[in-house]
Order: sequence, then structure tokens, then C-alpha cells
Amino acid sequence: MGAATLVFWIATLVALAGGLGVVLFKEPIRNVLSLVLVMLSLAVLFLLLSAQFVFAVQVIVYAGAVMVLFLFVITLLGPVREQGTVRLPWQIFISAVVIAAFAGFLVAMLRGVSYRTPDAADPIFGSVQSIGVGLFTDYLFPFELTSILLLVAAVGAIYLSRGAR
Amino acid sequence: MLLAASSIQVGSEQLDVSWFLLLGAALFVLGAIGVLIRRNPLVMLICIELMLNAVNLTLVAFSRQLNNREGQLFALMTMTVAAAEAVVGLAILVDIFRVRDLEDVDDLSELKG
Repeated sequence: MGAATLVFWIATLVALAGGLGVVLFKEPIRNVLSLVLVMLSLAVLFLLLSAQFVFAVQVIVYAGAVMVLFLFVITLLGPVREQGTVRLPWQIFISAVVIAAFAGFLVAMLRGVSYRTPDAADPIFGSVQSIGVGLFTDYLFPFELTSILLLVAAVGAIYLSRGAR
Repeated sequence: MLLAASSIQVGSEQLDVSWFLLLGAALFVLGAIGVLIRRNPLVMLICIELMLNAVNLTLVAFSRQLNNREGQLFALMTMTVAAAEAVVGLAILVDIFRVRDLEDVDDLSELKG
């Protein structure tokens, strides 16, 4: 087993363990730290898939900024007591049925995947240069739309948290 | 093998894209389980972030398999949307918690018609 395969399996196991932690831990702070674990191992997988720029954005923006925001809110709110997991009669049963059906659907869909022949090999695939050219030529309009989306989100957050009214 | 295999070259080795896809599906299902069985609204937001990350992994895996940068561009857009969603969701949560102590999303059900 070569180095890349080993790195892949370690990152996969860490990601799955982190995902289980996100679902199972009772204290929100542990949920967030498990999610950081998932994001960092996904970042390693992005690097294996030669997506260097997405890797950097994942580490800096996602694991860095968004998760710190979650941690801020948790420290601001203090510990939240969570009651047991059953809130409706049959909820666990219905959730299990829905999840089983959904997982079966996903696997069936993935089994039907037939891969198209890859495009011609791109020597700068996944680099900042390749992503930048894409963002500022073919995808300029969606790129500008995301800036409007972020502006709206920032204005909305400030409006919602403006204190006494 | 569960899925159709398609190997990609990583350094001098071959990796199979379908394992990445399966991992993405597993993480997405874990996030869905969390949204369904957890009661704390903050944890539900965290689980939604987990699902968005799983989708990102799938997008980047297909992007690599097809040698096509659109998947990575769309993963970046997903990250932007996830950031906006987290900001607005957390602002709403903080606003609710300022008025009352919330233990369960069902405590917010009095707005229903």
C-alpha cells in the first residue's frame, strides 16, 4: 500500500469518526470540534484530488472562520441542556425508515453512475490560476452574485443582532 | 466492488474515485441523521454544515475524475452559501436566545397557524 492510499484511508476514517462525533456528542462544543476534524480531513482529501485552492479555502475560510463563528456563539449562549432524543412518538422509528430509504436511494444512484471520458488533461488543474481564470471569465456573473449574497447575509446578521429596538 | 470503479492517478499510485463518492454519501447520511434526531437548533445547524461538506467532497471528486474545473468552482460557491447560511442562522439563534432559554426546536412552535 502506497503513501497516497494510506493517507486516503486515514483521512476517511478520521472523517467518519468526526461525523459520528457530530451526531452523537451531547455538548455542542464537542459537536463543533468534531466538525472541524471532519473539515480538516476533507481538506486532506481535496489535496489528494489535486484541488489545492479548494483545500486552502476549506482550511482558512471553513475550518478557520465559519467554525470560529460557531464557537463564538456557543460561548455566548453558554451550555444548552438538551433533553433526550425522542420528542415525538415513533420518531426514532420514522427517522430510521427515512434514513434507510435515503441511504438506499443514494447508493442506488451512485451504483448507476457511469463515468464519462475525462476531458483533456489540464497541466494547471486545480491551481489558483485555473480557478481564478474560471471565476473571472466563464463564471464572472455567479461570482459577482455570491458577493451580493454575502452582503445580504452580513446586513441580515447585523439587523438581527442589533440589540434593543 | 459496490460502485463502478474509475481510478485516478495520485503521484505514482492509483486511487478509486468511487471511494470518495461513498465517503461523501456516508457523511451526508450522518448529517441527515443528526438533523432528524437532535433537538438542539445549534447542533442541527452543525449537521447541515456536515451535509454541505459531504456535497463538496462529491463535487471535487467528480471534478477530478472529469479533469473539469467546474466542480471545484461550484464547491467554492457552496462554501459561500454555507457561510451565509451559518451567519444568518446563528444570528437568528442568538436573537431567540436573548428573549428566552431554548432547549428544543419544538419550543418555537407557537408561531404555527
